Amino acid sequence: MSNDLYDVLVVGTGAGGGTAMKILCEAGLQVCALNSGPRIDPGKDYRGHRQVYDLQYRGYGDPLRLKGKAHQEPYSVEESEYSEGRDLFEHDVAYSNAPGTDWYWKRCKATGGKANFWGRSSARFGDIDFKAADLDGFGENWPVDYAEISPWFSKAERYMGVASTVQNRPSNPDGEYLPPIPWRCIDYIIQKGAEKIGVPYLPDRCAQLTVPHHGHPNCHYCGNCSRGCDVGSFFSPTWFTIPDAEATKNLTLLTNALVRSVIVDENGMAKGVAYVDRVTRKELELYAKVVVLAASCVETAHIMLNSKTRHWPTGIANSSGQLGHNLCEHLYGTPGYGYLPQLLGQPATPDNIADSTVAWMPRWQNLKNPREEKFIRGYSVYMGGGCGEFPGYYGQIEGFGSRFKRDIKRYYATSIGALIQAPTLPSPTNYLDIDPEKKDMFGIPQLRFHFQWGPNELLMWEHSKQVMIDLFSAMGGELWGADVEPNRPGTSLHETGVCRFGNDPKTSVTNKWAQTHEVPNLYICDASIFPSCTDKTTTMPIIAFTMRTCDRMLENFKKGVHKRA
Amino acid sequence: MSSQVGAGSYKPLFFSPQQYQMVEHLAEMIIPEDDSPGAKQAGVAEFIDFMVANRAPVSTSRDIRSTDDAIAAGNEAQNRFLAGLDWINARSHSEFKREFMDCTPEQQNSLVEELAYKAKFKPTTESGRAFFQMMRDYTVVGYYTTKIGLQSIGYPGLRTVWPKMPGCPHADDPEHAHLREPASSSSSTQTGRN
Repeated sequence: MSNDLYDVLVVGTGAGGGTAMKILCEAGLQVCALNSGPRIDPGKDYRGHRQVYDLQYRGYGDPLRLKGKAHQEPYSVEESEYSEGRDLFEHDVAYSNAPGTDWYWKRCKATGGKANFWGRSSARFGDIDFKAADLDGFGENWPVDYAEISPWFSKAERYMGVASTVQNRPSNPDGEYLPPIPWRCIDYIIQKGAEKIGVPYLPDRCAQLTVPHHGHPNCHYCGNCSRGCDVGSFFSPTWFTIPDAEATKNLTLLTNALVRSVIVDENGMAKGVAYVDRVTRKELELYAKVVVLAASCVETAHIMLNSKTRHWPTGIANSSGQLGHNLCEHLYGTPGYGYLPQLLGQPATPDNIADSTVAWMPRWQNLKNPREEKFIRGYSVYMGGGCGEFPGYYGQIEGFGSRFKRDIKRYYATSIGALIQAPTLPSPTNYLDIDPEKKDMFGIPQLRFHFQWGPNELLMWEHSKQVMIDLFSAMGGELWGADVEPNRPGTSLHETGVCRFGNDPKTSVTNKWAQTHEVPNLYICDASIFPSCTDKTTTMPIIAFTMRTCDRMLENFKKGVHKRA
Repeated sequence: MSSQVGAGSYKPLFFSPQQYQMVEHLAEMIIPEDDSPGAKQAGVAEFIDFMVANRAPVSTSRDIRSTDDAIAAGNEAQNRFLAGLDWINARSHSEFKREFMDCTPEQQNSLVEELAYKAKFKPTTESGRAFFQMMRDYTVVGYYTTKIGLQSIGYPGLRTVWPKMPGCPHADDPEHAHLREPASSSSSTQTGRN
């Protein structure tokens, strides 16, 4: 097996890797994909239709489940008692935080990765994002503009199925959409209030199938999306790209194959990868003409930083010194939560059965004038609420007894909360490197995070708290409170940067096609190429940019730049 | 005594039989049976006993980053439960000269009201109030994670297949400015009929 030579090796099977192997396999290339954990089985590993009372710990999980693991911190939300029992999340490979850094690195190592459980918000990036440096003078433009990437956004949307409406806002470009998810009571009320304070409240771009789509059934609204869809009614590698790639018979999928480094030939070009089989603990190698790294942003940089040879003393393709730098992330937090008295006592309505954000406040700051606010760029806000799985607002209600119980029911339809999604700016102090001392249980030098919120994103955070005060007042709501601090860095799962793309090999790791400047047969298909974070989520753009990168790679195969194995 | 009824055959894992009875009674006081079943019928005391025995923290201010953190939080919950139940009995002794479970429902109610309502807080009851908050957290979690509890609020997710998402049902009042609370509307209807 380890002597096999493939056309392409794809490291990672998530949003980017899954898409890459689908496109390359469908084009007839022989592809081997390496996934660091086990194969996910939707029937066993997803929530299915289990209710919280079917779980022994009612969702809290066995407190001893991670005993003896190298990294024992539980991953909230994504990892839960529903997925307990199998080793789907990374707790064996530890990482380190530099002093003053508190990065929360949540990793799903099963096939499909975090995209099994993602939030499905799928907005297009626009020129306001790609050319932000032109507008406000900070940082650098992307090497790609909207006109160039737009056809691939369409391709990605057509493949995934995204529900939304046409909104005619250049800062939040429209795409090709399935019918939108119907609005809930809370959406109408929030929208009215938002209008009064000049904030847009519009259907989100949600990758959820409101109608059947290319053989995938429409959503049946069980509300369990974020624990994995049992029938594939939203895009995930497990239901979309992996089966598509396997149908070609051109795919070899290796599981429990933890990639350690990219190995190079005598000229320093990529020759394959070195990996450890987690089950047998054997050190193995695989070879190919082209290597694609799609290990999920920071892990891609980890592998490259650990790929040190005489050609590449600081990591493969890193003459620019940019590898590991420009780490960005979305600042997440709750700038306001409260309730809508209009809905007090209303009977429960099935308004959370889509388990989706339904509508959001896409960036509205600094649109006319890039320096209108005290901060540059801008943020978005998602509003959630309504009749959820647990009456989490009970802490707001005093007392006990029948009146307490009646009030819990009375407030059931009313509670709402905001989630800010604010981009950080690239900063020389936010980066990754290899811990000089610590190694994981497989002997792989650990990744080390250096990251702190900067003043720009903290100004957005404060701004959003004031917006919530205004919004609650405008919509006739009552504000209960707000988080004092934002969530820990890493919480959003939207890390970007660390292998940024650009036209200048001196200041970027890859070219505009996500092909490393110095090692032309090494490509990157994840958010690590994005030179900055935007107010939008990363998954759909990862898929779109991956489609574009793979098309380019296929041209290079055709032109003979890359030879077949 | 009514408190003796239904002690049941459940053998507590963590609490003594007397403590368990008290937990069950407090839970039922917090979420009583009325037009829907209460904490007792929903098995809330068994849930609390299970979680406390297994040191699975339901309500904790601790940041849990490791199994040791989780165990420490679980140990803390165990200690707080034992100390809290003792506190309640000590309080009922000083107020009513008897164990909490031997007090009349009125006495029990007045003791708990002092811990539950800001207007009735006393400066000397801080640890009792902290215990009551924890007891209330465990009870609410224990109740609203059962089918009984979820049915009592009408959790729509109990039904797992919907033909489509219905969205807002108030097409004639999209501003939601004229919605009436069912409770108040039914009483006003009654007045109207009379």
